[in-house]
Amino acid sequence: MSDSDRLWEVFARRKRADAFEHIGCVEAPNSDLGRVYAWQTYDEAKWFEMIIAPREAFHCVNRAEQPFTLHPSAEALS
Amino acid sequence: MTGEKYAKASDLPAELRDRLGALVLVLADNKRLLGMRYSDWILGAPALEAGIACSAMAQDEWGHGRILYAMLRDFGEDPGQLEHERSSSEYRNMESLDAPARSWPDLLALNLLLDTALSVQFEAMAESRFEPLHYKVSKLLDEERFHFEHGRGWVARLGGTAAGREAMQRAFVPVWEACLRWFGPPGDAAGLVLCQEAITDRDAAGLRARWLERVGPVLASVGLEFAEADSSGVWRSRVEPDWDGWDPEARRGSEGGPDPDTLARVRGDKNRPLLMD
Repeated sequence: MSDSDRLWEVFARRKRADAFEHIGCVEAPNSDLGRVYAWQTYDEAKWFEMIIAPREAFHCVNRAEQPFTLHPSAEALS
Repeated sequence: MTGEKYAKASDLPAELRDRLGALVLVLADNKRLLGMRYSDWILGAPALEAGIACSAMAQDEWGHGRILYAMLRDFGEDPGQLEHERSSSEYRNMESLDAPARSWPDLLALNLLLDTALSVQFEAMAESRFEPLHYKVSKLLDEERFHFEHGRGWVARLGGTAAGREAMQRAFVPVWEACLRWFGPPGDAAGLVLCQEAITDRDAAGLRARWLERVGPVLASVGLEFAEADSSGVWRSRVEPDWDGWDPEARRGSEGGPDPDTLARVRGDKNRPLLMD
């Protein structure tokens, strides 16, 4: 992975009625190549729809680095 | 487009059948050899994903080539002979496909410029009166959309550095000139006949203009000045096509054909004893 590459998460669904499932990721420097690589790499199904998003668009929900506290000052103390 | 549809080649008037058969062979040969050029880079591409993309694009091109060769049976040709028995000078491919792409920018030139030139020709047959082509074009262009975006994505990436731009500039010049010629001179008889009979929806000049409209902005976006838009927004090449030595049958500007190694591979010489059909 070169400095200019980013990770793109790939989601797809087989039928219109299906929910998107996460099927993998690709490394690419821009969305043009991300879309091409995703489509050509994950071609195991006849997808109804495939989408990609840059990894940094996702925000961690439950894996915070600091323990939870209600005391704002506690963060400075830790 | 208007007029009666042609369900098979034998329905076509003789001159039209000859012109269209020649075009299908040109397209088949370019597709087959372009697929080989993509396949040359499945291993050794700059990224794993790029190698996978080359594999997918090679499969697409070979599929398109196979369909086109098979279509020529209806024109009185023997697809087996066309695929396995011809000499180098009998191929109708662009000169840029005679030998392997030596560098990734060389392959990128084939990907963006040459592959798009072929797609522009197919796009002009989306509503063709010749139904066997009309029915194939939509799926073919669905696949080609990703080829174009692959080329555009890599131009953007290499265009981010001076070294990348210089490498593309060098690699793109000969392919640019070959593609610019490939559509044929203004007033090209074959292009006019096919257009007048609504087999295609534009003549040589119209096809070239469409190609410039597709690839010109991609190159200009990274400062590669092969084409520019005039005051009315029409994209024009900075160089004129060179018609010296133009061969209208092969649609190329120099004599020749696939090099010996390419010819042996494209004909399948190694597996000749295994040919069953």
